[in-house]
Amino acid sequence: MQGGIDMLLFWVAFWCYLAATLGASVYAGTRKDGVRTAVFYVTLLGFASNTGALIARSVLSGHPPVTNLFEYLSFFAWAIVLGFLFIWRKKGLELLTAFAATIAFAMMVMASLFPADVSRQLIPALQSYWLWIHVSLAILAEAAFAVAFVASLMCLMGDKRGHRRLPDRNLLDSIAYRAIGIGFPLFTVGALFAGAVWAQRAWGTPWSWDPKETSSLIVWLVYAIYLHVRRTRRGSIALTSGLSVLGFTLTILTILGSRFLGGLHSYG
Amino acid sequence: MTLWLLVAAVVVAAVFLRRFRRWLASMAGAVWILVVLTVMSLLGVMIGQNLPPDAYVDRYGQVLGSLIYRSGLSDIFTSWYFLLSAAVLAVSLVACSFGRLRKLATARGRGRASRVGSLLLHLSMVVILAGGVVTAVFGFRYPAPVYLAAGEEMEVQEGGFTIRVDAASTEFTEEGMISEYFSDVVVIEDGDEVLSHRIEVNEPLIHNGVGLYQHEMLPSATSVREVLFGIVVRTEDGESPLTTITVPFNEEFEVPGTDISLKVLEFLADFTYDIESRTASLVSLSHRNPAVLVRMSEAGSVIDERWVFADVQTHRDDAGLPCRIFLFNYLPDYERGLTRFELSHQPGTPLLFAGFAAMSLGLCLTFWTRTGRKDADGSGVRSKTGSDPG
Repeated sequence: MQGGIDMLLFWVAFWCYLAATLGASVYAGTRKDGVRTAVFYVTLLGFASNTGALIARSVLSGHPPVTNLFEYLSFFAWAIVLGFLFIWRKKGLELLTAFAATIAFAMMVMASLFPADVSRQLIPALQSYWLWIHVSLAILAEAAFAVAFVASLMCLMGDKRGHRRLPDRNLLDSIAYRAIGIGFPLFTVGALFAGAVWAQRAWGTPWSWDPKETSSLIVWLVYAIYLHVRRTRRGSIALTSGLSVLGFTLTILTILGSRFLGGLHSYG
Repeated sequence: MTLWLLVAAVVVAAVFLRRFRRWLASMAGAVWILVVLTVMSLLGVMIGQNLPPDAYVDRYGQVLGSLIYRSGLSDIFTSWYFLLSAAVLAVSLVACSFGRLRKLATARGRGRASRVGSLLLHLSMVVILAGGVVTAVFGFRYPAPVYLAAGEEMEVQEGGFTIRVDAASTEFTEEGMISEYFSDVVVIEDGDEVLSHRIEVNEPLIHNGVGLYQHEMLPSATSVREVLFGIVVRTEDGESPLTTITVPFNEEFEVPGTDISLKVLEFLADFTYDIESRTASLVSLSHRNPAVLVRMSEAGSVIDERWVFADVQTHRDDAGLPCRIFLFNYLPDYERGLTRFELSHQPGTPLLFAGFAAMSLGLCLTFWTRTGRKDADGSGVRSKTGSDPG
């Protein structure tokens, strides 16, 4: 099944995101509107290919493309670009959005390192409509965290070097907060609650302290800390941005962790 | 034990509550409690949980390994310090909710939805924690998985019933991939068959509060469908080239072109032999050291009976036999498979799910209503709500 239309589209998206990443770097240096427009269209082309790849894969396999790390990460890349497209036209964030494809590209690179075999048959444990609810909500939440991550990273860079060319720190901080305001409820409901409901049905217990469950809880706790810190006077932008960066780093470790830590979530 | 620890934790927290009431109800207190829980959870993931003591010594050395085991870090999520932190979190949530309630009473207009959401969000956490406590105290989960073959019965004392497995099977696709495990079970109460049910993965049977959950299915550990042997026949001119034969389980099989016949009498998935009692038996149900007991006949009369192993090359004196056989492979018997059930009773789950529902609603109201979104909008809130309860 390897090398089908889904893989062709995956690679088109891969190269588009790489091209957009290079374009974004050029834009960061030149600040020419034409370059940003080109980056936008290349990102959009990558996004369309990414969408096509996911649809083709769903058709080929007969189930949502969320059953192994290759599928998860390419879906994640798609959701990240989707998140950035929502804020693409926002004034003052031109540089932030130009780098949408960069983080998506990083996910595509990681995806490409994992086996991309299409399996029509799901293992019995995954044969449930909760698969779709649990995993897709978790992906959307993590994509929102990714948007917050890029904004927070730019905040931190601006903080250190006093960059005038970076977007306004308060604006970046507000974007990160809004993104986490979307991601945190989605993550709570999708990753934790839907997961617990499914686990109760499939394994007979809503919570097993499985490595993936525990690391998802850690991600949740870090963003909970972020939300509390940000609402106090003590929470400087540097501190909240640092927490947002830490939260996303732990998110990535959670996604990849089941591969190395084992446990109930080791599906591939 | 857990109950006493929890009671102790709540008592200690209550004593400290008077003194640290302000701190507990404050945002700073909330942040520190969350930080402590985060660090402990991180330690739990990094160290690895519930491994045998030796595993920690292997991994971290004698001193650190035994320290990890003795301090409870190897089972951190049931340790007193983790439970105490969770209890302190619960107390903090209740304490800050009082503050929220007071603010809610005075709030007017558009800010109300967001405040109600926030209150619901924090109180629902207490409900979720309570659900966990109820399950920990009143629930149970069988520590080891239960394996049953078709025809076997098991008494579930906690539920006051017995289950009998009528069929346990694995379905495969044409490509040979597993598509489903299912077990047909009958529930017997006081000698009467009260219910028959097909248990599948994601489709449990819950009876009298006890849930039976289908996990994997193992092929039989004592029978196979057929065995693939390598065989070298001894002739007057020497030995024939190595060929393969497929011998059905427990059926007489004539080796083509010879007057030798073979019969596979027994199969053991994980073979061991007790020298004193001279009996072969299973070490485990997994196919780690498979062996078949083969009876060889020549011209109708039995000439040999021996265990043949998959991974042992040397053979007990077979010089006098008309052929040499090697166990190459076998087709597992899934029809007489062993179904694996997980048994549990989780009385806190309804409370847990009620907490989830309340929290979801609270999250929507806090973050996604117009007033909630307004709150999200940057610097204004950052400076004004510093003294808000945590």
